[in-house]
Amino acid sequence: MRTSSLIPSFQRPPSSVVIRRAANYEQDLASVIFESLAVFDLPVKSKTVLLKPNLVGLDPLGVMNTHPAVIAAARECFLRLGASHVYIGDGPAMDRDTEAIIESVRLREYAGKLKGVFVDLNVDDVERVALQTHASRLNELQLPKTVLGVDFLVSMPKLKTHHWAGVTLSLKNMFGVVPGSCYGWPKNVLHWAGIDRAILDVAAVTRPDFAIVDGIVGMEGNGPIQGAPKASGVLVFGTDPVAVDATCCRVMGLRPERIKYLVGAGTLLGHINSFKIQQLGESIASVRNPFSVLAAFQKLAE
Amino acid sequence: MHTDAEISFVEQLCLPFLRTAQNSDGGWGFHPGSLSRVEPTCWAVQALASAEAREPAESESVARGFGFLHAEQLPDGSWPSAPGEPSGGWVTSLACCVLGAAGEADPIERVTTGLNWLCRDWPRDSSPWRRLLARFSSQREIFPINNSYRGWGWTPGTSSWVEPTAFALLALERAGRKVSASLVTKRRRLAIALLYDRMCPGGGWNCGNPAVYGVPGEPLVVPTAFALLALRNESQRSEITESLKWLEAQIEKIQAPGSLAVARLCLTGYGRTSTANAPEFRSLLARTEFPNNVQVMAWICMAISTKYDGHRNSTLPWLFRSPRPDCNPRAGNFTGGLSS
Repeated sequence: MRTSSLIPSFQRPPSSVVIRRAANYEQDLASVIFESLAVFDLPVKSKTVLLKPNLVGLDPLGVMNTHPAVIAAARECFLRLGASHVYIGDGPAMDRDTEAIIESVRLREYAGKLKGVFVDLNVDDVERVALQTHASRLNELQLPKTVLGVDFLVSMPKLKTHHWAGVTLSLKNMFGVVPGSCYGWPKNVLHWAGIDRAILDVAAVTRPDFAIVDGIVGMEGNGPIQGAPKASGVLVFGTDPVAVDATCCRVMGLRPERIKYLVGAGTLLGHINSFKIQQLGESIASVRNPFSVLAAFQKLAE
Repeated sequence: MHTDAEISFVEQLCLPFLRTAQNSDGGWGFHPGSLSRVEPTCWAVQALASAEAREPAESESVARGFGFLHAEQLPDGSWPSAPGEPSGGWVTSLACCVLGAAGEADPIERVTTGLNWLCRDWPRDSSPWRRLLARFSSQREIFPINNSYRGWGWTPGTSSWVEPTAFALLALERAGRKVSASLVTKRRRLAIALLYDRMCPGGGWNCGNPAVYGVPGEPLVVPTAFALLALRNESQRSEITESLKWLEAQIEKIQAPGSLAVARLCLTGYGRTSTANAPEFRSLLARTEFPNNVQVMAWICMAISTKYDGHRNSTLPWLFRSPRPDCNPRAGNFTGGLSS
């Protein structure tokens, strides 16, 4: 569990975010990811790492969930960096049969045997944890012991629009650690707490150490489930998930400072201001590819 | 139909797995060695009892499982989803179903307080105040649902969803005289209406979103099976026929043992026994490397132990059975279980 104090953004040094092009899932993603991780000198040697992809539901077309090729390549890279164990874990929100989702996305075909590797966070042992922030009225949450116990947590979302929150990226992805066996399918208590506020509280208590966003094919329109595929051809990396999400928004042609939860996150969890984010790799302008959004979110467009 | 190979699979793999996964406190976690929780304990108890005709030695395990459930009940009558959780949730329905249908004398009081808690647990989304607000909300265009219907949520003070509503309906079938009959009737009527309202176009259910922003929701196997089991007394309705047809069409495509078990359990309960094209549990488990999930193993035991002998309902696990005609709810008994 992240017990260190939250640091106000004005006291934080600038964050670095790497954007890399990746045209499709068939290319050598491990090389792209390994080179990108090398930029950050991550402290993962002999540490346990949990990759938290975005596995939402049955997805035979590979549009809704983080692609298994990205997950498998990331796992390979963290092992190459000397991690003692690299778990993959998620608690899908819409379907309690996680195994059916794993099969539908063909995770085993890419990542190999999952016994001892994949953790279904919906049915993991849990511990009741006091939230460090009080953006919502949740105050406490049951959280999986695997999430609380690992040394290094990596949020691996898909680049998607979201019909309630505007976008779902590395911060919103952390909703997936909230266990369905306690809160149901979907995790409706988070919606009643106010999605924007709950995103802040869950992100603040879990505090992902790193983010890798699968934007090779994202989702636009009525995301996160019923939207349309959007080929963007990028992977985005960073140690500051807020800066990563803000960068992703700009790649999507959306204004992060108009997304409620990102504005809140920009005060305590990281940076959203572009002058505090050092962009490495590709420039935003070179990969910018505006996503269509629902009418209710037109105000987010640049 | 169940083959000898399946029965032997249950006896040689599933039952020993469940037996050894039981914790010293009498409960089961979701995995061997994990902390006992109400939900996997309910499924494991039900699975062992379903197989009891062939495995009478399971009785002690079942009794210890009941002991865990007794100990976990909160003072307000509900059951918590996890240790240390101060308030109850949807697993209250499951615990009431399992304890209530067991026909033991001791749990009757416990089940009554549990059912009373369930009857008081109204979802927040459909309160009169919320319904008034919804009339002026733009969201009524987004979710084309009738919010005058009311079921149950996963946790108190939230919205109605399909699975918790289905389990509450099953639990309330056994409500005795200590639970207000008029309240039970009202809640069941509203909940049944809610399930039909939340059905996906063309049959089947997902978590409870038949459409969002005009896009029809896709049904899922597990919620469809549980909703159908809760509505099994309405088998003549066209919605049920449609949903059964959808579920039958999925059988060949199911790739996970948990979904397959729940689907087969449901279809057998409706007398649809032609599951010849369904994948084999053994091969699914071998491929998916997930033989360590207590809930899935319990569902498999229940699916294989359930036989259709021409009398709908008669050999379903007791959790899903209608109370027997000789069960007099006014007398407060909850029989309908093991002996039939």
